[in-house]
Amino acid sequence: MLVYVVRRLLYALLTFLGITVATFALIHSVPGDPVLFYVSRGSLTHITPSVLASIRHEYYLDEPLPRQYVHWLGGVMRLDFGQSLVERQPVARVIFEKLPRTLLLNAIAFVIAAAIGIPVGLWSAARAGRSFDRASAVSFFLLYSLPTFWVALLLMQFFSVKLGILPVLGLTSDGYAEMTRAQQLVDRIRHLMLPVAVLTYGQLAIFARFSRSAVREVIRQDFVTTARAKGVGEAGVMWRHAFRNALLPIITLIGLTVPYLISGSVIVEDIFQWDGVGLLYFDSIRARDYPIVMALTVVTAMMTLLATLLADLLYAAADPRVRLEAKR
Amino acid sequence: MRFEVWQNFRRSKLAIVAVAYVALITAVAVAAPLLSPYAPNEANLTDRLQPPSSRHLLGTDDLGRDVLARMIHGSRVSLVVGYSATVLSLIIGSFLGALAGYYGGVADWIVSRLIEIVLCFPFLFLVLGIVALFKPSLYSILVALALTSWTTEARFVRAEFLRIRELDYAQAARASGARDPRIIFRHLLPNALAPVIVSASFGVASAILIESALSFLGFGVALPTSSWGSILAVAQEFVSYAWWLVVFPGTAIFLTVAAFNLIGDRLRDVLDPRGDPVL
Repeated sequence: MLVYVVRRLLYALLTFLGITVATFALIHSVPGDPVLFYVSRGSLTHITPSVLASIRHEYYLDEPLPRQYVHWLGGVMRLDFGQSLVERQPVARVIFEKLPRTLLLNAIAFVIAAAIGIPVGLWSAARAGRSFDRASAVSFFLLYSLPTFWVALLLMQFFSVKLGILPVLGLTSDGYAEMTRAQQLVDRIRHLMLPVAVLTYGQLAIFARFSRSAVREVIRQDFVTTARAKGVGEAGVMWRHAFRNALLPIITLIGLTVPYLISGSVIVEDIFQWDGVGLLYFDSIRARDYPIVMALTVVTAMMTLLATLLADLLYAAADPRVRLEAKR
Repeated sequence: MRFEVWQNFRRSKLAIVAVAYVALITAVAVAAPLLSPYAPNEANLTDRLQPPSSRHLLGTDDLGRDVLARMIHGSRVSLVVGYSATVLSLIIGSFLGALAGYYGGVADWIVSRLIEIVLCFPFLFLVLGIVALFKPSLYSILVALALTSWTTEARFVRAEFLRIRELDYAQAARASGARDPRIIFRHLLPNALAPVIVSASFGVASAILIESALSFLGFGVALPTSSWGSILAVAQEFVSYAWWLVVFPGTAIFLTVAAFNLIGDRLRDVLDPRGDPVL
């Protein structure tokens, strides 16, 4: 197990370095001089070359690229991503203020999608090829094909504009501060409903399809045939042999869905003006707030990396075959 | 073998409907100028935000432009992005996957790490970042999609190569003196493409979805070129009463994406009955 963990950690470290190099290279290959762009937005009308030079020096832009990368990487290690150009605050503070809101949204969506998707997937696998399986496959595919921004518009049009029963935008209503605790909770939940619904429906398909094929994979194996041969009933085969073993690969879904969720939050947070990191990323891209764009790219990729790492380690802890394979 | 695949494929009525729909929408895109009732950018301010009528079958937008005409022309953007981005990522993915699978060792190690790194970035974050920072255009959307979505194809091709590189016909080609490029591209690659066709079909669907999302967010092809997503972006402002601006372009995106996804699903059932766990 130790060999496996160490090896996996080394790979994760390597991937982390790759992520930072890719992010740095990407941002630095954007055409245009960031300093000129930044200065041209301010109120300064006359800028001498010496002022430009001093700004460049402040952001290490006058040094060779590898040096700049090392500076930036050193900062990333200490969670110091520099100053936001727009908000004039440390990038880390801006991000960590908004990150919990995004995590809340995504965690709720993840739990709901898993709670519905996994049982449906298991049930479909037990009924493979029959009408329930087919109907659920087709309906999940259709759900998966619905563009999130369109669904968001339709839901807003119906629940907020036409029926007027749910708030259109934002984290909370006006006058949130004056509400009682109970009212505040209700208000928060009402604001969460539409964004969570939009984030959840597409993931249902991923959970259902994944858990279905995990079960199908197990059913093909010899020990299931053995169980059947010795006379275990169909229900026993499913519950005692197939489902229990299929739950293992489902662990890896944690890693697979994290990037999907974060991608989804950009659209959902923009449409519902949910003030999390998705909206922040979107606004920073528009304002060319490079320190925030770079930091968010690295932070979200890191979240995926950590989720995948966690999933792999859990998997290895649960399934001895994985860690034995690594020893060979 | 090809005949059998088709025989199997067409047993699903839904998949046949999807193929017919894709053929239809592709024909519409090709013949757009002939089919369109108006020029897509013909503004008529007296006819602003008209609901569907006999003159404007799907209504008009905020500048009085005919929605049907804009949707017919918009199909070109969606399909060009969908097909070209998929072809590009097929080329990159099969090439890297083939190298990794055929040579193994260092080549495999490098390609696998590269895939791991790309997969860590949330897809839309990366695409949005590349497109927005490098000036939104058809070209930058294609580059962004190709750079981020080749990993699926690479993984499939790599896995197939690992399986088939030691089969008899590969050994025979090697024994008869064929060089590596010839073995890879003439003998092995054509036999490794079955699972790739499946992922290509899903790839078209996902590229169309991403393009429409980018256009919706204001980072699509330059205005006034019409795309389904940009009509929906206009609809966002008039969501309370201009229902036709919301319903029609959204349905077009949904049906097209669904059709490619259903075809991919059916192809997977037919070509690879063991199935692939990742959606």
